Amino acid sequence: MVRLNRVLLKDAGNVIDKTLSEILVCPLSKQPLRFCEKTKSLVSDTIGVSFPIKDGIPCLVPKDGKILEEEGDASKA
Amino acid sequence: STEGAYGGDGEFQQNSSKVKIFDRDLKRIHRDRAAWLSRQKNDSFVDAVADNLLDRLEDCKKSFPTAFCLGGSLGAVKRLLRGRGGIEKLIMMDTSYDMIKSCRDAQDDSLDNSIETSYFVGDEEFLPVKESSVDLIISSLGLHWTNDLPGSMIQCKLALKPDGLFLAAILGGETLKELRIACTLAHMEREGGISPRLSPLAQVRDAGNLLTRAGFSLPGVDVDEYVVKYKRAMDLIEHLRAMGETNALLERNKILNRETAVATAAIYDSMFATEDGTIPATFQVIYMTGWREHSSHPQAKRRGSATVSFTDLQKQFGGQS
Repeated sequence: MVRLNRVLLKDAGNVIDKTLSEILVCPLSKQPLRFCEKTKSLVSDTIGVSFPIKDGIPCLVPKDGKILEEEGDASKA
Repeated sequence: STEGAYGGDGEFQQNSSKVKIFDRDLKRIHRDRAAWLSRQKNDSFVDAVADNLLDRLEDCKKSFPTAFCLGGSLGAVKRLLRGRGGIEKLIMMDTSYDMIKSCRDAQDDSLDNSIETSYFVGDEEFLPVKESSVDLIISSLGLHWTNDLPGSMIQCKLALKPDGLFLAAILGGETLKELRIACTLAHMEREGGISPRLSPLAQVRDAGNLLTRAGFSLPGVDVDEYVVKYKRAMDLIEHLRAMGETNALLERNKILNRETAVATAAIYDSMFATEDGTIPATFQVIYMTGWREHSSHPQAKRRGSATVSFTDLQKQFGGQS
């Protein structure tokens, strides 16, 4: 039962918790990050880069960031 | 080895802006490997350093509700916290995803879940933490692998709230001096030259300069030396590997000649082995303490603002001296 709860919590943990959302910013621009529901990633609109969240753990190393397409639609997604 | 890279302020400044000393990608791979090697195992040296670092929290009267733990031995820091510092929330960061996942899994398995803990992957050189958002920053044996140590510390200071505390432990220049000597002699004997096998490390006098230049208030630096004993020279190498402390220099020689390795072990044994047959290795640890500036901190007065002269002091108290 305890183990099952953990698994459920981990699945729900694909969204980062409140503490992290309050504190984390873009590692390069230091501007706030936006959570993108579609791609389940954190987006820095200032520099047009998205950072992945793996198993509920945000990966905010500059090398892990992916440059978003310059189209307006993609950046708003 | 490339000694002297941290030898002076000016030299250091040039290095930090122009030269990348460490291969950060390789260091991430090292830490991924260390996450697996140190699984379910507690390292007594790493634990001792973390415990000594956290002991400083008991000297502070205030509490630190939000604490941020940088990479290094963050598992040990979490395990040994034991309510010190009044921490309610703990945020853990490492460059290695495997290390972060390992720490989170260890927490899931443990009975102690009193502190709310969050995890993310980040780089000390590009700190993704908002300005003035945490009360305490702890780094145990991690910052000596950054290329831009002053930049990392400046970012740490900015992340702290006013009157926030920065606690760090880094390896000092005397670390692994026996291995350094043995490697140098073996290389000269077998290969006729020297290639860097050990990283440049900060000297004690540099630590205070780093704190001051980053803008910390009330800087404090002290040094400790730990001697760890091994049965064989290879045990030392395995320990370094399990800690994620293996060579990550960009200029490193990627090939290690087997004869050179054997010669290193032989020289190490003949020069440094103790009477009981064990192999000692020295780890010099530099502890740094700094605070984000606050109005309650004492400040030096402006030059020339004195209202009493030393001459008057001499007249008043001269008879007693």
